[in-house]
Amino acid sequence: MNIRTSSSHFSRRTLLRGLGISLALPALECMTPAFARATETPRRMLLIANNIGVLPKHFFPQGTGRNYEASPLLSILAPHREDFTVFSGLSHPNVTSGHSTDNCFLTSARGAFKAGFRNTISLDQFAAEKLGQVTRFASFNLGVNIEKANRSLSWTRDGVLLPAEDSATALYQKMFVQGDAAAVQQQLRRLEERGSILDTLRDEANRFSRNLGATDKARMDQYFTSVREVEQRLAIAREWEQRPLPKATQPAPTPIQEGKYFFEKFELMLDMAQLAFESDSTRIVTLMLDAFWTPIFKLGGQQDTTESYHGLSHHGQNEKKLRQLEAADRQHMAVLNKLMTSLANKSEGGERLLDRTMVLYGSNMGEANIHDNTNLPIILAGGGFKHGRHIAFSRNHNTPLCNLFVTMLQRMGIETDSFGSSTGSLTGLSQA
Amino acid sequence: MKSKCDSPSRGKRRLKRTLSILTILLGLYVAVHRAGADQSALNSVPTRLAELLKQHCDQCHNGDSRSGGLDLTALSFDPADRAVREQWIRIHDRVEKGEMPPKSAGFPAARRAEFLKLLSARLHAADSAEIVAFGRGPMRRLNRDEYEQNLRDLLQLPHLDIRDLLPADREAHHFNKVSDTLDMSRVQLMAYLDAAEAALQQAMVKTAQPPVAMKYRAVGKQLSFVRAITGEKQSMFFARNSVGIDSNEKGEEADPTVEMVLCRSPGWPYAVFPKKLVTPAAGAYRVRFSARAVLQQPGFKLAPATLPVPMTFRSRRPTNHDIAEDVKSVGGILDIQPNAQPGVGVYETIVQLGAGQTIEYGLLGLPVPQPDARGITGAYRFPPFPEGGQPGIAFQWMEVEGPLAPESWPPASHHVLFDDLGVEVKSANPAQDAKRLLRRFINLAARQPLPEEAVAKFEQLTLSRLNNGATLAEALLSGYKAFLCSDLFLYLREPARATEQFAVVNRLSHFLTDTRPDAALTELARQGKLRNVAVLRRETDRLIAGEGFERFVTHFTDYWLSLRDLRRDDPDIRLYPEYRLDDYLVESMGLETRAFFTAMVRENLPATTLVDADFTFVNDRLSRHYDLPPLAGSALRKVSLPKDSPYGGLLTQAAILKITSNGVATSPVLRGAWVMDRLLGQPPSPPPPSVPAVEPDIRGAKSMRDLLALHTKSATCASCHARFDPVGLALENFDVMGRWRTRYRGLETGERISGIDRSGHDFSYTVAGAVDAGGQLADGREFNDVHALKAIFKANPRQLARNLLQQFTVYATGTPVRFADRREIESILDTCSKNDYRVGDLLRALVQSKIFLGQNGLVKKGVTK
Repeated sequence: MNIRTSSSHFSRRTLLRGLGISLALPALECMTPAFARATETPRRMLLIANNIGVLPKHFFPQGTGRNYEASPLLSILAPHREDFTVFSGLSHPNVTSGHSTDNCFLTSARGAFKAGFRNTISLDQFAAEKLGQVTRFASFNLGVNIEKANRSLSWTRDGVLLPAEDSATALYQKMFVQGDAAAVQQQLRRLEERGSILDTLRDEANRFSRNLGATDKARMDQYFTSVREVEQRLAIAREWEQRPLPKATQPAPTPIQEGKYFFEKFELMLDMAQLAFESDSTRIVTLMLDAFWTPIFKLGGQQDTTESYHGLSHHGQNEKKLRQLEAADRQHMAVLNKLMTSLANKSEGGERLLDRTMVLYGSNMGEANIHDNTNLPIILAGGGFKHGRHIAFSRNHNTPLCNLFVTMLQRMGIETDSFGSSTGSLTGLSQA
Repeated sequence: MKSKCDSPSRGKRRLKRTLSILTILLGLYVAVHRAGADQSALNSVPTRLAELLKQHCDQCHNGDSRSGGLDLTALSFDPADRAVREQWIRIHDRVEKGEMPPKSAGFPAARRAEFLKLLSARLHAADSAEIVAFGRGPMRRLNRDEYEQNLRDLLQLPHLDIRDLLPADREAHHFNKVSDTLDMSRVQLMAYLDAAEAALQQAMVKTAQPPVAMKYRAVGKQLSFVRAITGEKQSMFFARNSVGIDSNEKGEEADPTVEMVLCRSPGWPYAVFPKKLVTPAAGAYRVRFSARAVLQQPGFKLAPATLPVPMTFRSRRPTNHDIAEDVKSVGGILDIQPNAQPGVGVYETIVQLGAGQTIEYGLLGLPVPQPDARGITGAYRFPPFPEGGQPGIAFQWMEVEGPLAPESWPPASHHVLFDDLGVEVKSANPAQDAKRLLRRFINLAARQPLPEEAVAKFEQLTLSRLNNGATLAEALLSGYKAFLCSDLFLYLREPARATEQFAVVNRLSHFLTDTRPDAALTELARQGKLRNVAVLRRETDRLIAGEGFERFVTHFTDYWLSLRDLRRDDPDIRLYPEYRLDDYLVESMGLETRAFFTAMVRENLPATTLVDADFTFVNDRLSRHYDLPPLAGSALRKVSLPKDSPYGGLLTQAAILKITSNGVATSPVLRGAWVMDRLLGQPPSPPPPSVPAVEPDIRGAKSMRDLLALHTKSATCASCHARFDPVGLALENFDVMGRWRTRYRGLETGERISGIDRSGHDFSYTVAGAVDAGGQLADGREFNDVHALKAIFKANPRQLARNLLQQFTVYATGTPVRFADRREIESILDTCSKNDYRVGDLLRALVQSKIFLGQNGLVKKGVTK
C-alpha cells in the first residue's frame, strides 16, 4: 500500500489565520475510504461566484493567448500565471435581468421575470447526479453573507433552490462529527425501502422479458442495467451512512457572524472547501459570495467601506467609490492567489491537489455599474488543463459560458456534450 | 504486493504475440473482403438491377473514384441486413428525386421507373419481412409530459407538477416521442422514483380537516406592497378622484377612495403585488377585484380608456425584485374594461398557487422601463405617451379567498390510494386491506389487464414491508411507487397480435391526448371493439373534439414547429426597438399558430392551409402586428384576411417567422431549410462541416442576396442550396418578428430613424436597401414574391399532405415512416386526394392504417367479437 506518512506531509496544515484556529490534517489517503479510492483519479470542482463582479477595466488583460499582458487585477495572480486561464467574451445568452441573474450563474436558465420562468439544474447538481455518490456528500453548496432563502448557486432539476450553508462550524460538524443515531437510522430505512422496490422492479422485468421479441429485449436490457446501477449506488450510499466520519484532530472553527468580515468569511469558507477535498468528503463545492447582500464591510482587514457593496458597485465613475471597489477587487484576487498556492502545495497521489481541482471564479455581472450581464469575468484555475493563457471570444457576440461548463464536466470524467445553453465544448482549452 | 503481469518483459512478449496474430487475421479479412467485393457484391444484385447500375452508376461510384463516398462495387445486396438496406434506400430516394444520376439525359424516364420498381420491390419485401418478424418498432418509454399527465389523471390531481423532476427527453426526427431515443438510464430511473414519490405524497392528506381558508382584503394603498416602483412615477402611482396623489401622504392606508394605477408590464426589476398577501398552503384561490382601464394624462390625471387593457396574475413568492424565481401566469387573461367610475367593473378568477406565494399584477403589452444603459444608477425614463394617453389599469380593491376546499375530504386523490380507510389509513386487518388496496390501485393504474403473476410481485413487496414494521400506508406506498416505476407503467407496446386491443387503445390516447385511455376507451378495449372501423372512427373524433386534444396541439406544435423555442431569441434592441420586451406579442404569436393548427384538424381543412389560407386567428396585439382592422381584447378570433394579405397559412405566421430567425437578422438559408424540412417534408442534407455560416451585415451596406451569391457561384454549394435558399428569399419581406417590411434596417447606412423605445431608451437605426423577394426554385419555376411562392407550394398538395402524415406517424407510433410503410402512406394519400387532402381525414386514415394498428389492421367488415 502506498501510504505516505512523511512528516512534511503532516506539517502542511490549513491555518485559519487571524481566527486562532489551526487544524492538523492527516494525509489525504488516510482519510479516504477504500471503496471510494479504488476508482480512477479523483477530479474535483470548486465553483465560486461573486455576484457583484469586478471592475472590467482592471480585470480583462490586453492581448490574447500565452503572451497576454496581465491586467492590474490579474498581476496579483502572477505567481500562478501557469496555473490559470482567463476568459473574455463569455456569458449566458439571454440571461439579462441584472442582479437577479446570480441564481442562473450555474444554470443558464433564460427569461427570468417572464411568465413561465423556472430555473433549471445547476452545474454542480448535474455533475453530482452523473457521478453518483462516490463520496459521503454528493456536493457542498456554500455561501458568504448569503440571503439563503432566495439566493443559491445550486438548483435541482425542477428548479428548486438548494439552500446554501453559510456556517463554517455547521459544515465542519457535518464533515467530522457524527450525526444522531436516529437520523442515520431513518436514512437507512429510506435506503432499504428503495432497495426492496428495486428488487421488485428487477423481478417484474425478468418476468416481463420472457415473452419479448429481440427489439423489445434490447430496450429491456437498458431497463435492467438501470435497475442494477441504481442498486449499486444505493449500496454505496448505505455503506457511507454506516461508516464513521473521518477524524479531525482539532476543534471546530470559530464562527464569524458579522457581515462586514466579508473577506475573512470568504477565506474561512475556502478553508472548509479544502478540508472537504482533502478528506474526500465531497468533490463538488459551490460558493456564492453574496456581495449584493453585503453591508458596509472591511477592506484589507482594516478600514470600513463607506457604503454597502452594492452601493459601491453603482460607482457612476465616482473616484471615492471606485477606489474602494478596486481595493475590494484586489482582495478577491489575493484570496484567490492564496487558494491556488495552498492547493498547489498539497499533494495527492503524487500530483498537486490543484491539478485535480478545477477552480472556477467568476460573476454573473459583466459590469455591475450598468447592470450588464454580458462579457462576464471568468477565471479557471487548476484541474489539469493547459493554462497560462487569455482565451478571448467576441465581445459583441459572446460565446455561451456553458461551453466552458461542458469542458469542465468532461474533465470530471462525465460523458456529455451539452449542458444548459451550451453549443458544444469550449474551443481552445485543452487538458495538460 | 506483486501482480501477475508486473514483469515488463513478459508483458511485452505477450503484446507482440497478440499483435502478430492480429496482423494475420487482418490480412485474411482484407483478402476475403476484396474477393467478396469484386465478385459477389454486384453479382448478388438481381440481374436487371445490376445491369442498370453498371450502365448508369458504376462509372463514378466504383472502388477508385468512390463519388460521394459511395462504392457500389463494394456494397453488398442484402436487404435483410438493416444497415445495408438503409444505404439502398438512400440510393433509391436520390434516384427517385432525380438527383442521381446527375445528368438525367442519359437516364430516360422509363429506365428510371424500371430501376425504381425493381429496387423498391426488393426493399419493400425485406422491410416488410422484418416488420412481420420483429414488429414495426420497439416498445416505447413514456416521455416526461406523458408520465406527468398519466399521473395527473390516475391520481386525480389536475395540477400535479412533476415533469421537471425528470430529465428532458432526447429528440429525434424533431419529436420527443421516438422509441429508439427514449432511453432508460440510472439517472432516468432515479428520477422516476423521485417523481413517483413526490406525486404520491401530494395525493395523500394527513390532516383530519382541509386547511383553513384565509380571507384577504386589500383597499387603496394596500393593493401594493411597494409605494413606488422602478420606471418613474408614470409606471405606478396612487390616485384619488382620478388625480395622482403623493404616495407618502399621511392618512388611512385602507382609504377606499384611493386607486392604485399601473401603466407598465413586468420586467426586471419589478415587484408589485398586494401587501401582506401570502398563501398559507398550496391550492386554488378565488380572486375578486375591482378595476377599470384608464388612460394616463400628463400630470398623473386619469381619463377613461377607449379600449380594454388585458392582464393576468403571476404566481411568485413575495420577495424583492432582485430575485429570479418561478413566475407563472395564473388565472388566465382578463380584459379590464374602460369605466368612467371606479368600482363598477368587478372581475373574478381562480388561481392555482403554491404555499408561501403571492400574486403579482401582470399587465400585458405595456411599456417595460429598464435601468438606464448609460451608467447612471437608478435612472429610468418612462417612454413618451401614445396619442390620447398611456393605457393602464386602476385597481380599487381586491379579495382573495382560499385554499378553496375540495368537494370532499379526504380529497379524491386520497381515495385513489386508500379507498375509504380515511386520513389515518386505519385497518382492522392490515394484511387483507393491503392486498385489496394494492390490487385496486394496480387496476386503476395499469393501462391493460395484468396477469396475476405480475400483480403478485408487488403484493409481495407490500406485504414484506408490512411485516417489517411499516405502517399500512407506508407499505402500500412502497408497492404503488414500485408499480409506477415498473416496465408495466413506463412502457407502451407495439400492437403486434391481432387480438391486441390495449396496445391500440393506449397508442390512440397517447397520440391524441398524451395520456392514458379514459374509461370509455378502456371499456371498448375490454369488449374487443376497437378494431372496428366505425368504432375507431367515432373514438378518434371524440378525442379530437375533447379537452385533452389541446395537449396534442401543444406538444405536437412544440416539436414539429419548434414553438417551444418561441422565446429563444429576443429581437435586437438596436434594430427593433418597437419589439423590446413585448412578451404579449410573442405570447399571442404562439396562440395564433396553435389555434390555427387546431382548426386545421378540427375543421378538417385542406393540407394547403399549411402555406395559404384566407383567414387567421388574431387578438388586439396581432391585429396591429398584421396591419389588420384593429380588434379590442385579448381573445383570439377567427378573422378573414384581405385578398392581398400575406399572412394566410402557417408558412407566414409571425411565430414561424420568428422561430426561423435569430432576433438580429433573417437568414434565407435557415428559413428556407426550415420550411423545406418542417412544412414540405423535404429536409436538406446537413451542411458540410468546415463551412462557416453567412453572417448578416447589420451595418446595412450589403443585402443578404449579395451575401448569398456565394452559394450560387460554387457548384458544390449550389447543388443543395438551390433547393432552399430561394424559399427563404421569398420570405425576406418579413422581419425577425414576422412583420411585413419592404426595406431592411441597419445601423450605419441609409435613412436614420431615432426615438425612444418601449423601455425608455434612445434608439437610432437606419432604413437601408429595399427587399427583393423574388427568385427561382431549383426546378426552374420563378416567383417574384411570397404570394407567388405560396401558389407554387399549393400546386403540390400531395407533398404537403405526405409530410403531415409523416409527422403524425412519428408522433403517434414512435417510429418514423419505414420503407415498407410507403405504399400504405401513398394509398392513404390516394384516398384523401379526392377531397383536397384534408388534415382531419389524413389523421383519421392514419389511425385506421396498419402503420398505426399493427400488421393485423382493422377487423374485416361484419366480423365482431
